[in-house]
Amino acid sequence: MELEQRMDVLIRHYPADHRRAAVLWLLHLLQDQYGFLGSDQVEWTAAKLGIPEINVWELIRFYPMFSETPRGRFHIKVCRSVSCEQCGCGRIFNQLESLLNVPPGTVTADGLFSYSSIECLAVCGSGPVMMINDELYENLATGDVERILAKIRETGELEPPVLAPVPPAHPAEHRILLSAMSVPGYTGSIDDYVAAGGYTTLPKALGMPPEEIVNEVASSKLRGRGGAGFPTGMKWKFVDGKSGNPVYLICNADESEPGTFKDRQLIYRDPHLLVEGIVMSCYAIGAHTAYIYIRGEFVAGAKILERAIGEARTRNMVGTNILGTGFDCEIFIHRGAGAYICGEETGLIESLEGKRAYPRIKPPFPAVKGLFNCPTVVNNVETLCTIPFIIRNGSEWFKSLGTLNSFGTRIFSVSGAVKRPGYYEVEMGKLTLRQLIEDVCGGTRSGRPVKAVIPGGSSMPMLPPDKLDAALDFDSILAAGSLGGSGGVIVLDESDDIVERALGIARFYAHESCGQCTPCREGTLWMEKILHRLHTGQGRPGDVDLLTDVANNIDGMTICALGEAAAWPIKAFLRHCRPDFERAAAGGRS
Amino acid sequence: MSKPCVTLTINDQVVEAPVGINLIEAAKLIGVEIPHFCYHPELCIAGNCRMCVVEVAMPRKGLNDSLVLEWSPKLTIACNTAVVEGMAVRTHTPRVIEARRGVMEFLLINHPLDCPICDQAGECRLQELAMDYGRANSRFVEQKEKKPKKTPLGPKIILDDERCILCSRCVRFMRDVAGQDCLGFVDRGSHSCLTCYPGREPATNYDLNIVDLCPVGALTSVDFRFKQRVWFLKQTRSICPHCAMGCNIVISSREDVVYRQTPRDNPEVNGRWMCDAGRLNYRFINDPRRLKTPMARTSDAKAVGWSEISELVAGRLQSIRESGMGQIAFVGSASATTEELFLFRQLASTLDVALMDVVPRAGQADSLLVKADRHANTRGAQLTGVAATPPGSVMAAIAEGIRVGRIRALVVMGEDVATAGIGRDLLAKLDCLVVLDLLPSSTTEAAHYILPGASFAEKTGTFINASGHIQCIQPAVASPGSARPEWQTLASLLAHLNGPVYGSVDKVFEVMTRALAPLAGFTVENIGTTGVRLNVE
Repeated sequence: MELEQRMDVLIRHYPADHRRAAVLWLLHLLQDQYGFLGSDQVEWTAAKLGIPEINVWELIRFYPMFSETPRGRFHIKVCRSVSCEQCGCGRIFNQLESLLNVPPGTVTADGLFSYSSIECLAVCGSGPVMMINDELYENLATGDVERILAKIRETGELEPPVLAPVPPAHPAEHRILLSAMSVPGYTGSIDDYVAAGGYTTLPKALGMPPEEIVNEVASSKLRGRGGAGFPTGMKWKFVDGKSGNPVYLICNADESEPGTFKDRQLIYRDPHLLVEGIVMSCYAIGAHTAYIYIRGEFVAGAKILERAIGEARTRNMVGTNILGTGFDCEIFIHRGAGAYICGEETGLIESLEGKRAYPRIKPPFPAVKGLFNCPTVVNNVETLCTIPFIIRNGSEWFKSLGTLNSFGTRIFSVSGAVKRPGYYEVEMGKLTLRQLIEDVCGGTRSGRPVKAVIPGGSSMPMLPPDKLDAALDFDSILAAGSLGGSGGVIVLDESDDIVERALGIARFYAHESCGQCTPCREGTLWMEKILHRLHTGQGRPGDVDLLTDVANNIDGMTICALGEAAAWPIKAFLRHCRPDFERAAAGGRS
Repeated sequence: MSKPCVTLTINDQVVEAPVGINLIEAAKLIGVEIPHFCYHPELCIAGNCRMCVVEVAMPRKGLNDSLVLEWSPKLTIACNTAVVEGMAVRTHTPRVIEARRGVMEFLLINHPLDCPICDQAGECRLQELAMDYGRANSRFVEQKEKKPKKTPLGPKIILDDERCILCSRCVRFMRDVAGQDCLGFVDRGSHSCLTCYPGREPATNYDLNIVDLCPVGALTSVDFRFKQRVWFLKQTRSICPHCAMGCNIVISSREDVVYRQTPRDNPEVNGRWMCDAGRLNYRFINDPRRLKTPMARTSDAKAVGWSEISELVAGRLQSIRESGMGQIAFVGSASATTEELFLFRQLASTLDVALMDVVPRAGQADSLLVKADRHANTRGAQLTGVAATPPGSVMAAIAEGIRVGRIRALVVMGEDVATAGIGRDLLAKLDCLVVLDLLPSSTTEAAHYILPGASFAEKTGTFINASGHIQCIQPAVASPGSARPEWQTLASLLAHLNGPVYGSVDKVFEVMTRALAPLAGFTVENIGTTGVRLNVE
């Protein structure tokens, strides 16, 4: 059976005593084959992996990409997160509702369609967006949905989506990671990558003692680009190399923080940059196996990476005895299945091990006890893509870019109320938020003043308009009252309903709370419910203080940072835009 | 006490704590309770309830190498924090209390608050901690989340997901202790639900421990639910007689009816668990068929008083003894108390009984608690000499003695010998069959004298478990009718045969400790509530 043979190959990507780690793969393949995951699929998978059925079922009911009941042949998912909301995703959803004439979650009588909303698809700069099966449709305009559905009804086929070319660099940009892909006609193939100077650093790196690479990265002061900004070199130095266990590298490609869509570009357009970064990082930390944990919705991205790894293998850049140096390194793709919490590094590790993505209590940290209880480094895509440049040009070069405590460049993804949303690679500290919004992104679409800017993905506190002169680096954003986070900049202007935006963000975190620890599990949904009341004119006196209390009671009390991620944006909205909420609490009557 | 210790301060009080313990356990050492739901000393750390937060300061090198305390800006969960030399902990500061009040509020917003109809009421951690950390009025005006109610988790347990606080104690117990990874959570966030896969319900002999572990009323026992409010129940410390493990238990009873048995902590014996078979093995105590009145039967059964029957039995046995040696055999129970076995043996000696034994009862042992030996006190039976070596090896000789007519009288305590090699046909040949027992059986049917006994829940005494641990049982309920503890019946027979006189079971124990070397020096006091290990191999 061909399907089972594919599964057996995938199972071998994990240590023999951790077959369970292949469970998400098996469920993806079974769902592709049967259209849903019923008791037959659960029981077959459990038997195949030698685990109890509950361990399979609890995953199907955790990861929203899995369905226990059949969906339409074409399942449509409309992104409903904050930036898409600003672009009118609600219209798209309503349009689907009237075109298909069935409620969400049900299948049309002809078996052709089903649809649902989905949280952030990490294409916030080109909303509204929807996915149909594995394909992504961006910048949906009036008529697009109707046309796409008509085409399916007519031909039974999806119209191929349009992938926008990489826009030329704005003069204020300094493209390093994005430079190769910016050349017109660049396909991201290994030939293109090599022609652009790729894989020239790998032989150099493999000729250096591993500690030297670690030291070079440490002295570059590179800070992780995932969200926390932790120094990468320091993280690498924490790896317990004497544990006697294998060391693992995990590339966190679970990009799902609303407002963030940078890793997607790197994966889709220059996959070999990531592959090269992973191989030399593995070498540095003493790992021989790397997993790329890629969010389930990046279906094409997973295929692109798979192909890139295959190409690199044929050139002996991946696999055994790489470039004749004796260094072995395997890279495996691990697909998620639609859970934001898998971006949290220990939630990711649990998910990779085939469990519900419940973040672990720390200590121990992954560098000591991570994947399969072995020392593990988890690095973000952009971080790993930066490594080849640091090794190629040296840490001094890297530190010549950017500013103190924030060296190098950073890809800011800008979305929301601006004229030219998109991803922009700029030297850190060289532009202010205002310059990014007004000069690079052309100001607000509506022409109305900026009301709030969320500088680092939806979990970060908003900054009010009087803080727009803060420079785009970790320290300046911190001084302004927020955090650099993931570099996802969401702009809200005076036409935005702040209560509605707060509700959208609260709904995201309530939806994505894994449910493990009390404050986040109960508090996030409560905040959503209060905000929903406020938004729909059912506010009550005292609601603003109540909401503040609930956010405070989550903040600092949870196992992982999702608690803060849920509480901070709401607290900041309440702090800076209190009158909007007071008005809503008065039922919109004041 | 040789364990290395560290010194820390908890609420400014200096504490010496063994290395490796966490702050909840360290606080217990000075009588400070850090509230918690998910933490359990026998289970792995989950850290999910967030109730046990405390303020923690670590010692750091300051100026001139002096140590300064650096208070963590965030609250720390005590369950996942091990004691560290020089650390300082504050468990009840206003900040900590405020944080716990926040957690309590979160736990209660979607909780049904149905205490008046909840079995857990009265022994519910959520209810208890709501007294300390709850708000007088609710700020939650939304609809509560709806979740499955009254879901059977196998035949023994009912799950109410709305009451569940998702602490995962039951999940961890079933997976890590009971060895059946069958419970888990489905869905996410506030919608998360405890469940098992359909058709894969808990099915071990330890399932009911999760009812005890559940800090709320989410898991209730089918056997116990809706039977009694727990505050009406009298609690008696006892020992489970179901096997040779001797699990420490609490018998919960009211007005002489036993309603449930639950495990009692004893790290030397059973830890904190007990098996379901032992736990549910109490129904016989309240069995309406219990033997209630002494009976003497010559041609037809006749109820007689205790003093009369003692005299009758003693006289009958005495006359058979006097008519020749070797005509009386004794079969005792290895589930009787050591005191009873001691008197049984004394009675046998008084009557020059040569053949005496017990009926072994073996089952399947498991790797956790259950022993193959299904008697509570085989060690006691061996120590007192009632059991043959090996136990049961003399039973065939007794049967043969009866068959050939050499043995004319048989005294049986607590065994249905008719199913243990001495069939009804053999029993019918006896001139005198004396039976001390609780329930009617083929043996009592054939008996000339029936002496109703007391169950383990109705008397005082000791059991010696398989590893030589001697432990006490206590009466929880009164025996039905005029049934009485076997030691009393045996003592009265001994008195009629001019043997030693015992006024109380304590007296029996005292004499026994002088007579049996391994018991030398022991007192009821030093056995206490958790027992002591005897000096036997």
